[in-house]
Amino acid sequence: MNSSEKNENNPSSELEENLEILRQTYFFSGLPLEALKVFAYLCTREKFKKDEYLFRQHEDDGRAFYIITGSASLEREDNGGAREIRDCNVGEFLGGLTLLGEVRRLFSLRATEDTICLVLEREKFTKALKQFPDIMPRIFKAVAKNIDSWEERFLADRADMCGECMENLGVSLI
Amino acid sequence: MEKADIPVVKRSLFSWVFAGNVKLQILLLLIIVVMVAARVLPLEMQKRIVNEAINLRNVDLLFLYSGIYLGAVVFFSVLKYLISIIQTLITQRTTARMRKSLYRHILTLPLSFFRNTQPGMVVNSLSAELTVPGNFAGMAVAAPVTNLLTLLAFAAYLFWLNPLLAAVSLSIYPIVIFLIPVLQKGVNRYNKKRVDAARKFSARIAEAISGIHEIQGNGAYRIENRKYDALVNRLLKIRIFWSLYRFGVKSANGFFTSLGPFLVFILGGWLTIKGQLELGALVAFLSAQERLFDPWKELIEFYQVYQDGKVTYNRTMEYYDFEPEYALEPKDRKPFELDGSVQVKDLSFVTETGIRLLDGINVSLQAGEHLALVGFSGSGKSTLALCIGQLYKYTGGHVLIGEQEVSDLTKKDMVNNIGIVAQNPFIFDGTIEENLLYSCMARVNGSGRDSEGLPTLDDIIAVLQQTGIFVDVLRFGMNTILAHDENKDLVNVIIRVRENFQRDFGEELADYVEFFDENKYLHYSSVAENLIFGTPNKNAFATANLCNNPYFLNFLKQADLTRPLLSLSAELARQTVDILGNLPPESVFFEQSPIGPDELEEFKLLVERLRRTKLHELSAEHHEQLLDLALRFVPGVHKMVALPAILENLILEARAMFRENIVKDDPEAITFYQVTEYIYSQTILNNIFFGKTKTANPQAQEKINQSIVQLLIAEDLLETIIEIGMHYQVGTKGDKLSGGQQQKLAIARIFLKRPRILIMDEATSALDNKSQTRIQNLLETRWKKKNTVISVVHRLDTIKNYDQVAVMKAGKILEIGTYDELIARKGMLYELVGKK
Repeated sequence: MNSSEKNENNPSSELEENLEILRQTYFFSGLPLEALKVFAYLCTREKFKKDEYLFRQHEDDGRAFYIITGSASLEREDNGGAREIRDCNVGEFLGGLTLLGEVRRLFSLRATEDTICLVLEREKFTKALKQFPDIMPRIFKAVAKNIDSWEERFLADRADMCGECMENLGVSLI
Repeated sequence: MEKADIPVVKRSLFSWVFAGNVKLQILLLLIIVVMVAARVLPLEMQKRIVNEAINLRNVDLLFLYSGIYLGAVVFFSVLKYLISIIQTLITQRTTARMRKSLYRHILTLPLSFFRNTQPGMVVNSLSAELTVPGNFAGMAVAAPVTNLLTLLAFAAYLFWLNPLLAAVSLSIYPIVIFLIPVLQKGVNRYNKKRVDAARKFSARIAEAISGIHEIQGNGAYRIENRKYDALVNRLLKIRIFWSLYRFGVKSANGFFTSLGPFLVFILGGWLTIKGQLELGALVAFLSAQERLFDPWKELIEFYQVYQDGKVTYNRTMEYYDFEPEYALEPKDRKPFELDGSVQVKDLSFVTETGIRLLDGINVSLQAGEHLALVGFSGSGKSTLALCIGQLYKYTGGHVLIGEQEVSDLTKKDMVNNIGIVAQNPFIFDGTIEENLLYSCMARVNGSGRDSEGLPTLDDIIAVLQQTGIFVDVLRFGMNTILAHDENKDLVNVIIRVRENFQRDFGEELADYVEFFDENKYLHYSSVAENLIFGTPNKNAFATANLCNNPYFLNFLKQADLTRPLLSLSAELARQTVDILGNLPPESVFFEQSPIGPDELEEFKLLVERLRRTKLHELSAEHHEQLLDLALRFVPGVHKMVALPAILENLILEARAMFRENIVKDDPEAITFYQVTEYIYSQTILNNIFFGKTKTANPQAQEKINQSIVQLLIAEDLLETIIEIGMHYQVGTKGDKLSGGQQQKLAIARIFLKRPRILIMDEATSALDNKSQTRIQNLLETRWKKKNTVISVVHRLDTIKNYDQVAVMKAGKILEIGTYDELIARKGMLYELVGKK
């Protein structure tokens, strides 16, 4: 896909669209516009054909994804077998933590149809971050809050279904 | 010659005067002696012209003496010019020599020195501070000798003319000689302060500039201005006092020396009136005495340069007066060829501030054994590795490499036996090849690719593959734009295979490549390329020149494109400046920008102007600037502005029109894109594709690489492309390379050296899984039992096959053994690995 195909009837630039997307993600939404514009500028759009992997388990690809169109399946390989965890759909943002530090993927993400993603690489993110050092605390806050509210939701909705896993709860305590 | 034994910082200022300048200084002396003689002669002639020629009304004598006078003056001027030339030579050569020696010394200083030293400070020392001492070296012989000799000659002449007058008029000088040093002390005192203040001043500027984002981010302009102003004021005060003292010296000197003529007038006039002195003699005396003033003034000036030079020189040298921790090379033996064993015994490392970073470390490695150091960050694993590698000087215990104590080894011994891949490797400006050969070149002391003892191209290619940077270099090669008549064979092959390639891979790559198609707008090509759709054969049609090519401008007007392009460009400039305006000139920020970092300032001004002026009111120059930007616009890359569909169609129509026109008007000007021609304005890759890549997506890149490698192998071109790729310029600090590429390059340059002992300090942290695994496998299969490896490890899944694993915490080794032993022990490693 390229901008002009998409922009036939819509004069907004890809940069503006990226900016709109970033403003909707928890990770970026609290940042000042000046920094946000730079991140939006550094994002690229990538197309994945059906069954291509956006990232693979065990790899540190260092990229964050936002699904613009299409869908993907989150999978995990355990003891030889692959398990589907869930579907990821349009509007989902994955990989905030990969932007912050080296982490190897615990899951794989496979496109289940032709999918277009907004991609930001950790290397670009880090270099840009150096230019806006004062936004780091905001990002930490956003991430911490997100982890916390994730577990809170989990506890509220699913804790009673957990059974033996119960003793491993508490990711928000790290 | 330069004395190699005394470190540069211990050398006296005087030692530079003759070092390497002996012949020049002697020549200078000879010329000076002749010159002084030529200087006294006109005085004598002056006397004779008055006394003999004019008094006796003898025209012949007048001409003779005047002739000699003129000759002497011309001769004197020529010699004086010669002296200036030689002095300049000495000054510049000495300054250069000081700069080189001091730089050489600075590079060897302990790493701890640089932690407390701002780069700006070193820059200032090597540039500004050394110029005054350099000046002194140029003057050191010429100035005192010339002026003393001249003074003596004039004084002798004065005594010969009239001893009494001479004695009286020279009686002033002892007073001056007493007074000047007193004043000069004041000058020196303030000069010392000035050097220190100037240093703080430079360091302050350097700090502010490197922290500019912080200042702007915080809007801390006032704070920074206050700090800076205080330093400027201090410097101002010091400089004023310094100047006052300096002028004090000058004025006192001037005053006392001008008392001389006063005494001569009184005494000489009286003697002449009394008939005890001839008028001619008095004129000659006055004239000679007046001429005493110049050499005297120069002597005083020299004295000041000497004092300033001494102060600056000593201050500079004192600052860098640290001993390098290790000798660079052994003096009375050849560098050791050590076996690869490493013994660490009771090693400790305590920082200057008393923090114990390593404590009681014991490790023993046979040659060829591999050791993994693991632990949390701050556990001391890197410190241990760097102590073994001699980059840190351990403060207690022993590190023995091949039975030799590391702290006693020279740098050369270490370099010949050890290779270190740093955590954050530094890549220098230059080509891939230069960076690859950096370590090998340093070991053999070579200066170019042809130096003896360097690896062959085959070795290099093997290492490129081992470290996984091969594909990157290949891509750099493929992205090279060949010059006309370069690599003819390659060009021919590409044209030959282009059609086959499209047939075989075209469909597979269609998503990633935009093929050149006369009837389609190319979103990954510039507006100019879209219009011209060919390679310019004439300079006037090169993209950079289009915006001032009248033919092309006229064409744009006919095609109704000028206004829309200007308006597009204005928006492009506005958006780009808005995003990139405050960012540093790093390639990562400018990869997707139509405006380069060097042009940003100009465009900022233009955007500022656009804010106040309508597009059509801009100057012709600004129109040109905007048009140039519009012609470079690549919609698929420069995402800050969308290309309106209407404009896209207009450009597409204009393409056909341009072709029609130019074929009629100037058929030689353009070679249109066609499958049977090599396109010299495009990269090799684009030539093979007969199109442009649309994406930098790693998976796409891999597919492209695979197909290209197949092709290149089939055509036996792989080596050619790799060689071209190795000439890729990596940019300042390697900023045109990704972190992974930098790390691979750093590993490759050490692998190429194949050291007996390899130290890897989290050397693969920025690499993808595949590359990490590849390198780990390589170490296990090719290096084990041959080369010792000490690896600071950040990922625990790579350590299973190490001979020893040491787990560190808080500067101590908690446990050491094979992976299996430690896991079985269920200790710290067991916990770290996360076994349950």
